[in-house]
Amino acid sequence: MYRIRLHGRGGQGMKTAGRILGSAFFLAGFEVQDAPRYGAERRGAPIFAYVRAGRTPILERGVISRPDLIIVADDHLLAMPGAGVLSGAQPQTAFLIHSHEKPSLWRERLNLQGPVFTLPGLPENELRFRGAACAGGAAALIPELNIDLLAEAVQEELAPLGPELVATNLGVARMAYASLAAHRGAVHEGGPVSAGEYTPPGWLTLACEEPLLSAPAIHAAATSELSQTGLWRTERPIIDGSRCNRCWWLCSTFCPEGAIQVDDERRPRIDYGHCKGCLVCLAQCPAHAISAVPEEEAAAQGETP
Amino acid sequence: MSETHYHHLRDLPSRHILGTGTPMCAGCGGLATLHQVYDLMGEKCVIVNGASCLTLLSVYPYTPFRGSWLYTAMACAPAGAQGVRDGLDILKKKGRISEAEDLEVVVLTGDGSAYGMGLSATSGAMDRNLDFLYLCYDNEGYGNTGQQFSPATPHAAHTATSKGPKGYPGYKKDLFGIWAAHQPSYVATVVAAEPLDLARKIERARSLTGPRLILALAPCPTGWDYEPSATVEIGKLAVQTGIWPLKEYVDGRVVHTKIPHPRLKVEEYLKAQGRFRHLFAPRENREMIAEIQAGVDRYWQQVEQEQEQPRS
Repeated sequence: MYRIRLHGRGGQGMKTAGRILGSAFFLAGFEVQDAPRYGAERRGAPIFAYVRAGRTPILERGVISRPDLIIVADDHLLAMPGAGVLSGAQPQTAFLIHSHEKPSLWRERLNLQGPVFTLPGLPENELRFRGAACAGGAAALIPELNIDLLAEAVQEELAPLGPELVATNLGVARMAYASLAAHRGAVHEGGPVSAGEYTPPGWLTLACEEPLLSAPAIHAAATSELSQTGLWRTERPIIDGSRCNRCWWLCSTFCPEGAIQVDDERRPRIDYGHCKGCLVCLAQCPAHAISAVPEEEAAAQGETP
Repeated sequence: MSETHYHHLRDLPSRHILGTGTPMCAGCGGLATLHQVYDLMGEKCVIVNGASCLTLLSVYPYTPFRGSWLYTAMACAPAGAQGVRDGLDILKKKGRISEAEDLEVVVLTGDGSAYGMGLSATSGAMDRNLDFLYLCYDNEGYGNTGQQFSPATPHAAHTATSKGPKGYPGYKKDLFGIWAAHQPSYVATVVAAEPLDLARKIERARSLTGPRLILALAPCPTGWDYEPSATVEIGKLAVQTGIWPLKEYVDGRVVHTKIPHPRLKVEEYLKAQGRFRHLFAPRENREMIAEIQAGVDRYWQQVEQEQEQPRS
C-alpha cells in the first residue's frame, strides 16, 4: 500500500493535491483513501492531508504515521517542529519538496536517508498552482501512475473552477511530471502494518485529581502570545517611518490580530513574532507607508523580525 | 447618540489587550470584531463562547483573553450566560464579591449558533430579561468546519454545501428583526470595518441593562474566498452597497446609523468575493444579480418611507 502525506499551509492547495493523487490512483484501479487532517485548517497555518492507495480494501484509518512519500509544498515548514513534516519518516521514505534549494542540501540539512526530490519553486504569481505541481511531481515518482491518469484526475477534481483554471493547473502539473519523469519508481510501496507492531508512547499514569485541579483551566492571561504565529507569514509588511503620518489608529485598529501597537509617540510597531501577514494594514494605510516584502527576501536581507 | 465618547477615530483605544498568537486565519473578520469589542470592554467580563471558530481561541493551555472565558456547546451559550450571571449575583448578595468586582456577562457565538441552533436559548434569555451582552460574528456559514451554509448564508452564495450555478437557494434570515421582535433593551448591527460606529454601539449597549444583542458582519477570507488583505474593504463595501445596513433598535424604534449615499451597486460587493464568482463567469447571471439588487433596493425604499412618515 502507498502511504503519502502532504504538508502545506492552509490555502496552498495541498488538500486538492491529495484529491488529485487519490483520483489518479483510483483511475489506475487502486482502492483509495484521501483526507485532509481536520483541525486548524487556517489559511497560512501548517496543515496536512494524506492519501492511502492499496490493491485490496483499506482497513487502516486515521493519519499516516509511517509515510512512504512526504510531499512538502512550502519548505519553510521543514523548520517548524509544530508542522510535524518529518514525523514518522523511515529510512526509505521519499521526499518531494517544493523548493528553490537542491535536493542534496535538504538531504544534508535534515539528515535524510531516503530519496529527496525538489520541484523548482514557481514564480510568485503562480504560487496558487503549487498543489497541482506537487500532485504532478508525485505522480511521476509512482510507477503505477502516468501522465494520462494525472491529466484525467486534474480535470475531474478541478472542473468546478472552470476550463481556464483547469488548463493552467494541468500545464503546471504536466511540467512538474516531466521534470521528475526520469525518477519513475523512486517511491516504494510500504508493507502491511499490523496493530501488533504498535508501540504505545511512554504514557505517564497520573493520579485522579479533584475537578478544580484537573479541569483544563488557564489561570494566566494572554498565554496565546507564546504561539509564534509570525511563522505563518509569507509576506512581511514593513512600515516606512518617513512616510507614516502617525495617524495613530488605522493600521493598529484594523489589524485583526492586534499585532500593531502604537507607542507614546504615535508610531505604529508591527509585532513580527505574531503578524500573520494578512496585509490588511497595507491595504488600509492612508499614507501608503506600508509595503510588503516576501518573507524570504526580508530574511535574506538580514532583517530579523 | 450625542453623549458618545467616540467622536473621532483617534478616540478609539490605542492599546490592544486581546492576546496575539491565536489560531484564527490571517485576515479573520471575526477576530477583528472581537479585538475591537474587547479593547472597549476591558478584561472585566466573562465571555461565554458557544462552539464556533472563535472557541479555538482558547485551547488549553493557550488563551488570548485577560479575563474569564467559558466554553459552552453550540446551542446553549445564553443559558450558560444565565448561570454565570446568577452565580455572580449570588456572590454579590452574599457579600463575597463587591459591586466593583462584578463582571459583565458576554455571549460570543458565530452565526450557526445565533441564527440557528442557539436561537431558542437566546429567545429564552430575552424572555427572562437576562442582563447580558450577546456578540454574534456573522461569517455567513459554518466556517470552522469548512463553510457549509447556515441560516445566515446570503442567497446565491457558494458554500461547501451549496455549489452549482445558483449557489445557496435560501435567503439570509433577518436575525436583527427576530431579536428586535423580543423587545430587548438593545439590538444593533456592526462591522469591524466601521470601528467608530461599532464603538458607539458597544458604548450604548453597555450603558443599558437587560438583554443587549450585537450582530457583526464578519468577512471571512477563507469561507468567502478573497485575499485576507481585503477584509476591511469587503466590510466597507457591504455597508456602501446597502447589503449590510448599520442600525440599532432602542426604545422600541429602529434607527439607521449610516445610510449609504450614494448607494453602490451590489456587484461591487459580489465581484470582490469568490463565493459569488459564478454570478460573473463563465457568463454574467444578470437575472440573479438583479434579484439581489432588487432585494436591497426594496429594503432601503422601506427605510425611506418610514423616515418620511410623521412619528406619532
